[in-house]
Amino acid sequence: MTKMRWPRFLAVPAVALVLAACGTGNNATGGGLGSGDLLVGVLAPFSGADANLGPAYYAACLAAAPEINNNGGVGGRHVTCQKFDTRGEPADAAPAANQMIASNSNLMAVVGCTSDEASAVAKIVDKAHIPMFCMTGQSEFNKTKLPYFHRLVPADIFDAYAMVGWIIYGPSHPTWNKVALVFGDDIGSQAFVTPATNALKHFGKTVQNFPIHLGASSFRTEVQGMLNFKPDVILTEALGSAGTYLGEVKVQNGGQTIPFIGTSATIDPAWFADVKSTIGVNDVVQYYRGVDLGYTFSGTAYDEFKANLQTASSTFADASKYGQRGSTLHLYDGIVMTALAMVATNSKDPTVYNPKIKEIANGTSGATDVHTYKEGLDALHAGKSIRYVGAAGVNNFDQYNNSQSGYILVKYDAQGNEVQLATLTPDQTKKLSDAGGI
Amino acid sequence: MPDAVSLLIAAFGFGLVSMSVIALAAVGFTMQFGITNMINLAYGEVMITSAFVAYYLNRMGISIWIAMLAGAVFGAAFSFLINRFIYTPFQRKNTGLLGMVIVSLAVSLMIANIMLPIVGYFSVSYRERFSRLLRVGDLALTVNQITIMVLAVVVMLAVHALLRYTRLGKAMRATAANPTLARNCGVKTQRVIDIVWLITGALCGLAGVVAALDADSFTISSGAVFLITALAAAVLGGAGQPYGAMIGAVVIGLVTELSAAVWSPDYKQVVAFAILVLVMVLRPQGLLARRGALAAAG
Repeated sequence: MTKMRWPRFLAVPAVALVLAACGTGNNATGGGLGSGDLLVGVLAPFSGADANLGPAYYAACLAAAPEINNNGGVGGRHVTCQKFDTRGEPADAAPAANQMIASNSNLMAVVGCTSDEASAVAKIVDKAHIPMFCMTGQSEFNKTKLPYFHRLVPADIFDAYAMVGWIIYGPSHPTWNKVALVFGDDIGSQAFVTPATNALKHFGKTVQNFPIHLGASSFRTEVQGMLNFKPDVILTEALGSAGTYLGEVKVQNGGQTIPFIGTSATIDPAWFADVKSTIGVNDVVQYYRGVDLGYTFSGTAYDEFKANLQTASSTFADASKYGQRGSTLHLYDGIVMTALAMVATNSKDPTVYNPKIKEIANGTSGATDVHTYKEGLDALHAGKSIRYVGAAGVNNFDQYNNSQSGYILVKYDAQGNEVQLATLTPDQTKKLSDAGGI
Repeated sequence: MPDAVSLLIAAFGFGLVSMSVIALAAVGFTMQFGITNMINLAYGEVMITSAFVAYYLNRMGISIWIAMLAGAVFGAAFSFLINRFIYTPFQRKNTGLLGMVIVSLAVSLMIANIMLPIVGYFSVSYRERFSRLLRVGDLALTVNQITIMVLAVVVMLAVHALLRYTRLGKAMRATAANPTLARNCGVKTQRVIDIVWLITGALCGLAGVVAALDADSFTISSGAVFLITALAAAVLGGAGQPYGAMIGAVVIGLVTELSAAVWSPDYKQVVAFAILVLVMVLRPQGLLARRGALAAAG
């Protein structure tokens, strides 16, 4: 019997094929990274009442793209960014999401999806198996079953507790006993009200809710009704309407601004500009207090982010204004982590690299901390497992793909930069959430 | 005085301000429709673009009250050009009313999206946003708000005088009632229509600056909000009827503020639009149809 033999000249390409299939990093078992540009879809409001939200996310993508592309891309593939305008309306968001998916087979991730449209688009994007990083605090995502959904910001209820924390534990303010809650009358905005009310009442405060219809051209009667309550402090967010509302508060209160505490979403250059334009920068500095996630705005990852944001200014002139916008930092990290997950799995298939995102974010035992895309690539090429600690700091996704860290108490300086005044301790945060009862 | 009564009185004062702002916008909008047969959905965008023209002048140190005139001039010129170069060619091709509405919607979206990169996403305010607060009992209004009310009254009287006591007004009413007959009677209807676009455009520009001043802060997206209330007042009063638009403005301005005081701010727009729907059901032609200034040449 003749023994069948492999020709020797086939050995070299065969070995090469095996090596290529193995990729360069650990766990590199995917089917290759493919070719051509990759796309990050920025699915967010770029027009309508919340038009100021989309640019913050677009800036994140424009900063992440050079971070990845200048270091060889994702297996040589360049990352590009495209805006998909939801107009802040679910009715417009669903077709925008469908159109984005149908016309782009190279989507690597989707960022944006605010509370305006997350309910409408998250299932669509999830069904298409595209990893998404959403900027929504809606409670319906607290225990979401959507595997491709990721949230790098806390649920709204934690923002509500942190604002109450300002009143109870915040430094250098008189005792505030009467608290007015001024949020939009939509379901998403009103999510702040019940936890804040419960917690405030638990701590013996008098509280009243004064909902407003966001986007209205004036709030005179609403403001007068609120002033009749004689509040010591106002808790608010009122994206897109805060300037008008607080301007009318100042006018009707005889030129005197009432102290006001904003959610983490109010740490935003557009919000700052809006309120500054009506009550004046001095009043913003003196009377505004806010809560934010505990960013350090320093370190290797942040410096790299800032430099990339500067690069992005050539495409989007306002990009550099988002250097201290939490969502911009988080989404930048989200995109970089996705790119690293693709490299780590050597796969362009989201069903393969999606689970890796969480692993890279949280890290596994013995993982090497990396702070930039290049550091991540180098570590992966060296066969190490990695934990990405990015511009926004450490991530810790739970089983529902929700990642959150502690809160800081902040104010603005006259240039619109965030100034940290204190930190809420884990013990204080627990007391607040226990008091809120949700 | 109980808080509820005091709030009601204050809301009445605020209603007067709201109705003044709405009236300025609605009268121009409805005249445009009444005489040129054009439902111009780009009206809100022309308003906000004029408001931004005034803003840039204001930022250069020019008083808002003078910049307001510049806003009106810009509104007049812009509206005239939109009509001449976009609407008229479509109308010459006998595009129907619905088709023209779609064209105006497209123009509205184009203006908004062209303006967005120019003016940016951020809110802006006029330098004179604060003025002295004057109180008479529970009625509390600022000097700016009182000036806006006076301005609205003056403009309404001027519109009334124009329509009733001038040859141009007569020609406008004739064109509105029956353009073919008016042309056969020697009225230069095309020139009348051009003038109408200039006048209503000026009203639109003026209303934009006033609405922006009243709102304290504004962005390019505010145009859509301005349009909705102007449209509602115009429809309530009877499409194409300037006096109807004035009455519509009174109803919507007062109802929105008073319902916010009596009931809840959540429902102030619901109440206003519920009244609009009710009127449309009971009197589909609007409150003043066939009785207004543009109903017939007289």
